[in-house]
Amino acid sequence: MNKETEKLLFNPIRLKTISFLMTVETCTFKALLNVTASSKGNLSVQLKKLNEAGLINIEKYFQKSYPTTDYSITKKGKDSFEEFYKQLISLQIKK
Amino acid sequence: MTKEEQLSIINDTIKKTKYNLKPLGYNLVFWGVLIITMSLFHYFFPQIVQITYYSSLIYWVAIPLLGMVYTTYYNINSGNKLGYETQLGRVIRIIWAVFGLSWISIVVLNLLHDANPVQDILFLLSTVLIMSGVIIRFKPVTFGGVGLLIFTIYTYYVPDINFLLVNVVGITFGMLIPGLALYLLKKDE
Repeated sequence: MNKETEKLLFNPIRLKTISFLMTVETCTFKALLNVTASSKGNLSVQLKKLNEAGLINIEKYFQKSYPTTDYSITKKGKDSFEEFYKQLISLQIKK
Repeated sequence: MTKEEQLSIINDTIKKTKYNLKPLGYNLVFWGVLIITMSLFHYFFPQIVQITYYSSLIYWVAIPLLGMVYTTYYNINSGNKLGYETQLGRVIRIIWAVFGLSWISIVVLNLLHDANPVQDILFLLSTVLIMSGVIIRFKPVTFGGVGLLIFTIYTYYVPDINFLLVNVVGITFGMLIPGLALYLLKKDE
């Protein structure tokens, strides 16, 4: 795993977001707010960073005339998270 | 942030993601009550339901179709409230959507060929209940499905059995009771 991804997942909000998206198909911004327990502004910034790194997908559409955004993890995001998790586990075993 | 803290964040977040069992319980109870009521109404008032050759076909297709519209609306709403869909939720949703389509097909095909669809539907329902119960790891639903399967097989060996009463017994034990158990469950999985 490259250093950039590792650095991205070092932030607790981004790590919570990726962990959550690993277990769901899609989710809304509100669900991510509940899971990460962060402010709207901070979460938006972290989501933008994850999206720019290609780890998550952001899909915007209209539902009953209201703008809605769905978030999901990308293939790159899944692979990066799995590698990151394996590294954490192997480090723990070594200890 | 230490490696232990990172692992703890990952584990805690994954634990928070629960498949909400209540909507499935509500769906089972809704369909249980609807089908039992329809069967009893058909049993006690055949002169109304079978007023013309196609009236029972309309009765057994139109009302469940309305039920499907309602449950689809309910499921979309409860999904929107939750804000996410788990992989488990998606699997269950697909299984029941396929069951709904198969149900309508069985009813139409059987009634058009002048056959009673009850045994076919109950057989299909029992397999879907067993699958759902095993997937969500909820024994009452699995046992309800197994009980319904045994009961359906038994009906093949009983001549002149009243299929409307078979429906009432089968749906009560296979759908209504497991659905209530699921709906009243306090924790999610």
